[in-house]
Amino acid sequence: MILYTTTIILMIVIAPLLPSFMKMVKMTLLYKKPISIFQGYRDFSKLLSKEIIVSKETSSITSMAPFLVLSPLILTLFFLPPIVKGEYFVSFIDAFTITGLISLSTFFLMILGLDSASSFGGLGSSREAFISALAEPAMILTVFSVSLMADNLGVGQASINLNNHFPFEHMASFIFAGISFFILLIAENGRIPVDNPETHLELTMVHEAMILDLSGFYLMLIESASSIKFMIFSSMFASLFMPFGLHLPIILGVLVFILKLFFIALLVALLEVNTAKLRLFKIPNLLGIAIVFAFLSLITFYVLGV
Amino acid sequence: MFLFDNLSILFLFLIILGVVPNLFYSFGYLPHIRRKAYYLIHYFAFIISMMGVVIAGNALVFLFFWELMSLTSWQLILTQIEDKSTIKAARFYFFMTHFGFMFLLLFFLIVTNGDLDISFAQMKVITSNFAYPTLLFFFVVLGLASKAGAVPMHVWLPYAHPAAPSPVSALMSGIMLKVAIYGFFRFMFDIFGVWQLEWGIFILIMGAISSLVGVLYALSEHDIKALLANHSIENIGIIFIGFGMGMIFSSLKLPALSAFAFIAALFHTFNHMSFKSLLFMGAGSVLHETSTKNMEKYGGLIKAMPITAFTFLLASISISALPPTNGFLSEWMIFQSLLGSANIDNISLKLAIPFSIFALALTGGLAIACFVKVFGITFLGLHRSTNAKHAHEVNILMKIGMILMSLVVVSLMLFTPFYIKLFDSTINALMNISIYDKIIPNIWSLHSISNNGGVVSPLILLAGLVVLTLILYIFYKSLNIKHRIFHTWACGYNTSPVTQYSATGFAGPIRRFFTWLYDPDIHFEKEVILGHKTKFVDARFSVHVRPLFERSLYQSSIKLTNKISYYVYRLAHFEQSRYAAMIFNMLLSVLFSYRIFVHEFSWATLVLESVVMIISVKVLLVGGKE
Repeated sequence: MILYTTTIILMIVIAPLLPSFMKMVKMTLLYKKPISIFQGYRDFSKLLSKEIIVSKETSSITSMAPFLVLSPLILTLFFLPPIVKGEYFVSFIDAFTITGLISLSTFFLMILGLDSASSFGGLGSSREAFISALAEPAMILTVFSVSLMADNLGVGQASINLNNHFPFEHMASFIFAGISFFILLIAENGRIPVDNPETHLELTMVHEAMILDLSGFYLMLIESASSIKFMIFSSMFASLFMPFGLHLPIILGVLVFILKLFFIALLVALLEVNTAKLRLFKIPNLLGIAIVFAFLSLITFYVLGV
Repeated sequence: MFLFDNLSILFLFLIILGVVPNLFYSFGYLPHIRRKAYYLIHYFAFIISMMGVVIAGNALVFLFFWELMSLTSWQLILTQIEDKSTIKAARFYFFMTHFGFMFLLLFFLIVTNGDLDISFAQMKVITSNFAYPTLLFFFVVLGLASKAGAVPMHVWLPYAHPAAPSPVSALMSGIMLKVAIYGFFRFMFDIFGVWQLEWGIFILIMGAISSLVGVLYALSEHDIKALLANHSIENIGIIFIGFGMGMIFSSLKLPALSAFAFIAALFHTFNHMSFKSLLFMGAGSVLHETSTKNMEKYGGLIKAMPITAFTFLLASISISALPPTNGFLSEWMIFQSLLGSANIDNISLKLAIPFSIFALALTGGLAIACFVKVFGITFLGLHRSTNAKHAHEVNILMKIGMILMSLVVVSLMLFTPFYIKLFDSTINALMNISIYDKIIPNIWSLHSISNNGGVVSPLILLAGLVVLTLILYIFYKSLNIKHRIFHTWACGYNTSPVTQYSATGFAGPIRRFFTWLYDPDIHFEKEVILGHKTKFVDARFSVHVRPLFERSLYQSSIKLTNKISYYVYRLAHFEQSRYAAMIFNMLLSVLFSYRIFVHEFSWATLVLESVVMIISVKVLLVGGKE
């Protein structure tokens, strides 16, 4: 139980490192002077000491929603697969619940966008609603397919089963599911080519538009929510699609897990440097690819048989 | 004559749960209605007739109350007769409901052998001896699905629900549609008993299509009540997905999975009753205060109407199937029963069911988008019209109604084990299998019945969310941060109601992606200054979605009828020689068809005789140029 709590706290603590790391890699590759990897912490401490400016057009939703954006995501961290051997874990929570909790957080974020009567907020919510609606079926199908391969619908138990005996006969559907999940990781976290987290241009922004009117503590809650969301997706990718390292000794196991996270962040950063942002109406094509791969993964699994 | 078994009592319970808050709301709404006596008589007759349907013990009583239910609800739609569209909607509803009634009557005439007094058990004997059970099945589907509002018999819902007074919309959508679901349970179990695999697949496909079509049309709607009516189509679709899976598992001899799917369908029936009634009540309160159904005229109502807004928010979260609400739990159960398809041996079925999973997941995603739109545009931001500006909270009775209904929603979320127990005993009475202990081994969690299935624990989810939010809130309070009020940043301009996002704009990306379905009718007027079109001074943009099914199935059948009647008209004005030719052709066709279909069949003679028929008709009947 102590191990369980420690790993969750560890995940929360290293969550802000990943976005900063990605930014660092990108800046290095673009021959800019890179930011420090601890920039995330600096931003949070700065936001904590600032006053909150609340717009007079808003209602009580603005003072409630930021908390409700963050808390479902933190709750999701409790249900993620274990990262080291012998750790207590919640074995039974399935893909649908995890998707539901993430959607709950997105729901409040979208409502928050509409609360300030700003056209930016509405723009962001509308686009986010569009993207997340199309991402949901791919997410459920992908995780369902992986759970079938691992012979358990619970995400935690599935990851352990994959670690214990990897189903080599289902390598094809495993890779299809992996591709699909990686696209989802990019789409749900608003990275290029779906959304550009660094721009504040109304033509391109999605996530930033919704939170344009937040400041201080509220902004910190939302920013930490987005870094925890990336943490959730990358740790699920690490546990389900890179199933190794669970049997190492505790310290080594944690190190391997963190390395996996940074490897995923590196992949995303490299992808971001090498692609341009897609037009909003091209995004369904990308998500369509994710859905098709999820279906392919399920179908190859069924056709090859258990 | 009347029957009080588990199923009847369960649905009686559903009706009472839905009606009690509605009574309060209805009496609060009464000052808004001009013809009070008229309204009250039909309102109570409507409630009694719905109760009558679910406790009817034979065909005659069932049909009597069914028809009474249709007629009273039809009259209730006509309460606000001042509106011209009301009469049109009521006429459409009247036609659709009697279309269904005709098939129910046909069904009962066959299964009772003309003696409408016999009990369901006796009907089962006659049905099992009937040679064409699939025909009966389609009678039931046409009869009940036209009431339940499943695609393609759903077209009346977006017209009838907005036209009715809001308490009646809540009753119709919340309970009357469920009475049709009751009919499905009653007929499938008590009259058919056994069913073929294809029936279940048919119901499943119908459910999957209904859920998608319902939510897609809901997204494009800006009349708040029509939007909720479209969501009823979606939720009926979800119930049918559960019901269809139950039928499929049952025909594949997997009774435990089948019972699980039926329990999921029943659970969703209850949930939909609770949150859809609440949503219609909320919409009714908003309509009561602003006197418009157009969402583009709302905005900022949360400040004036907090109770309406927060109960509406609860129902929105629940209908979007977000954890830990009751809507999430029942959709979770339906998902689990779909995932149970991994246990099926039939490979083609196994490959097909993921498409239903896809449909249900996409429905969930789009429902979230839709309810963000409804809640955000209606209650948040700045008021978009003067009516919305002067709105204030509704009277105490209406508030009590909404609060009671939100208590029903919360009770379905908190006391899930109790409700599951109820559904389980009902299914136990119908199928002789009890799986309560497998679904709920302890009160904390809900287990899936399939091998290695998932588990969800509503109470832990709820407690976790509450505790985490409280911790964050206490942390925030302990920091004691300064607040400053300032206006929303609008690029240096003033924030104004007209620069906000509109409902039409919100659904824009989705509407554009699904253009092939919506086929929108777009008007974009721009003011002309000195012969140049401007964009910024006074532009007007409006989009009207043309419903696909109405256009293809209904309008085209009207066109077909017109065409046929034209030919019949022409026939009636033939000269005598043509009549003789017609009789000759008729004789020829009777002889040929006897030879082909009864005597002996061969493709060669079929082709030959068809050619002879066509020539004969062409020469004798159609004739040369007129």
